[in-house]
Amino acid sequence: MKLAFILAYKNLIGAGLRTWLNVGILAFAFILIIFYNGLLDGWNQQARLDTINWEIGYGELRTDNYDPFDPFSIQDAHKAYKSEEFPMLTPILIRQASIYPHGRMISIALKGIPVDQSQLKLPTSFLTSEKETIPAIIGKRMADAAKLKEGEEVLLRWRDKNGTFDAMNITIVKIFDSNVGNIDASQIWISLEQLQTMTGLKEEATYLVANEGYSHEKISGWTFVSQETLLQNINDIIASKKISGSVMYLMLLAIALLAIFDTQVLSVFRRQKEIGTYVAMGMTPGQVVVLFTMEGSMYSFLAMLVGGLVGIPIFTYLAMNGISFPDVTQDMGVTMASRIFPVFGVQLILGTMVLVIVSATIVSFLPAKKIAYMNPVEALKGKLQ
Amino acid sequence: MEKIISLSHVTKKFEVGDGYFTALNDVSLSFNAGEFAGFVGPSGSGKTTLLNIIGSLDSPTEGEAMVMGRDIAKLSHKDSAKLRNLHIGFIFQVFNLLPVYTVFENVEFALLLQDVPKEERKKAVMEALEWVGLESMANKRPDKLSGGEGQRVAIARAMVKRPKILLADEPTANLDSANAHAILKTMKTLNKELGTTFLFSTHDEKVMAYLDRTVSLKDGKVVSDVANKDQQVQA
Repeated sequence: MKLAFILAYKNLIGAGLRTWLNVGILAFAFILIIFYNGLLDGWNQQARLDTINWEIGYGELRTDNYDPFDPFSIQDAHKAYKSEEFPMLTPILIRQASIYPHGRMISIALKGIPVDQSQLKLPTSFLTSEKETIPAIIGKRMADAAKLKEGEEVLLRWRDKNGTFDAMNITIVKIFDSNVGNIDASQIWISLEQLQTMTGLKEEATYLVANEGYSHEKISGWTFVSQETLLQNINDIIASKKISGSVMYLMLLAIALLAIFDTQVLSVFRRQKEIGTYVAMGMTPGQVVVLFTMEGSMYSFLAMLVGGLVGIPIFTYLAMNGISFPDVTQDMGVTMASRIFPVFGVQLILGTMVLVIVSATIVSFLPAKKIAYMNPVEALKGKLQ
Repeated sequence: MEKIISLSHVTKKFEVGDGYFTALNDVSLSFNAGEFAGFVGPSGSGKTTLLNIIGSLDSPTEGEAMVMGRDIAKLSHKDSAKLRNLHIGFIFQVFNLLPVYTVFENVEFALLLQDVPKEERKKAVMEALEWVGLESMANKRPDKLSGGEGQRVAIARAMVKRPKILLADEPTANLDSANAHAILKTMKTLNKELGTTFLFSTHDEKVMAYLDRTVSLKDGKVVSDVANKDQQVQA
């Protein structure tokens, strides 16, 4: 093995440009595979984290008749709660309402949230404005859809608990920027206390967001939905992205391995006399197989080295500074942060290394096996077809 | 004298299309240790086939080929590799130097296969290069050598492990007259000093002039086996 290693190293270094072209292609594929998967992992982690921080916290306690996918359930989906009994929960009340920006009517979900909450990243502290109108915060998507700006007033119409319409101006005190569309599109956030007063639903909420450390015990009338269940959709999306990512992964790897395989197969024919000479000098077929397989795997080792030299500074820079994406991605329906921080985990790097080395070894072994038992006389004459 | 090679009724046939080509036909020969002998004859007479069988690169279709007490036909891949590694050196018409290795590394290769320690290897390689007068070219690549120098490296590579048998297939075919004589003199000297058995395949008269014994082949058969008592050229 040691001899094969020495000879393989000498052969590769001696082959000069041919070696470095293969190594270059493999290193490029190696860097691209890690970059692509690191970017996907970063994107996925960010999506999960944003969803937790902006929307779901560590789970939700929903009133039994609340179905977030059925707008008709909102009307009756409210239930009394006692905040002192639920210190680890952030209550949110949802009511249906309409706004009339610039002469248009837009149906919205009017959400009340405690001004002093810190569980979700929503900038609720802005809801303490002392103006006569109701202070409200909206997301960037909502602001774009309704063409609303910070400081602008807009008429809000809602129903109280008896079903009677009421209306009042709200002031957009803050437009927040979040990657999570579920807390943004067609939604207006106001103070929970304010909404409870407006609707006559004192001490009532539609659902309660669990804080970190919340431990659930069954509470009558409320259904607990765990964080994992709430993240299921996003996990499914991540899983499907992983599959498409794997296709890309395999394509990149296939290109690199094809280069090695090609080189090794060509070697069988181009280096026949050399192989014949090895055998004539006393190498066994097994040693020839090991030598050629070692040469193939050594491409991947050299590629790791080159990939590491080139990739480590690039990956470090990207992991620290992130990659900025244009806002246009939001308009295209892609939910992503304007800056994504790729995650280059040990598992990803080691996994890719092992995969590249094992694959390179296998594609090198196949032609090596073919040549190992060739007739040395024919090989010395260079007559093998 | 120790009998080192013994061929008994050796026949070698190659498949050609639907039939066979008989390269060797009932050849019986034996060689003692330290002989400087050669197979001569026209192309297709079976010279190289005979060398290949003796070198355990090929095996006879019929008959028995015993080399250093081993039956070539019965050797496994591993055993025939071991026989070549330890006891047989090859010199080829086109040198077959390994292109990516230096002269030193080419010569060292045979010793690497024998797992000889580094210091011993270095000493042996430099000694072998001295035999052929190329010690100053140890770090050159084969593509920087002339034809004569290349063949001298091939001799050093074959001799560095001090084999019992050295098989040279048309060693002077690609060399000019001066280089051919220089190489043959070197081989003759090594034959005398190290006691290595040299077997040539050739139709070069320059080589024949150096041989102590000439075996003539025609159509795969031995037509004459002559000891050359009055060599035209002395080593």
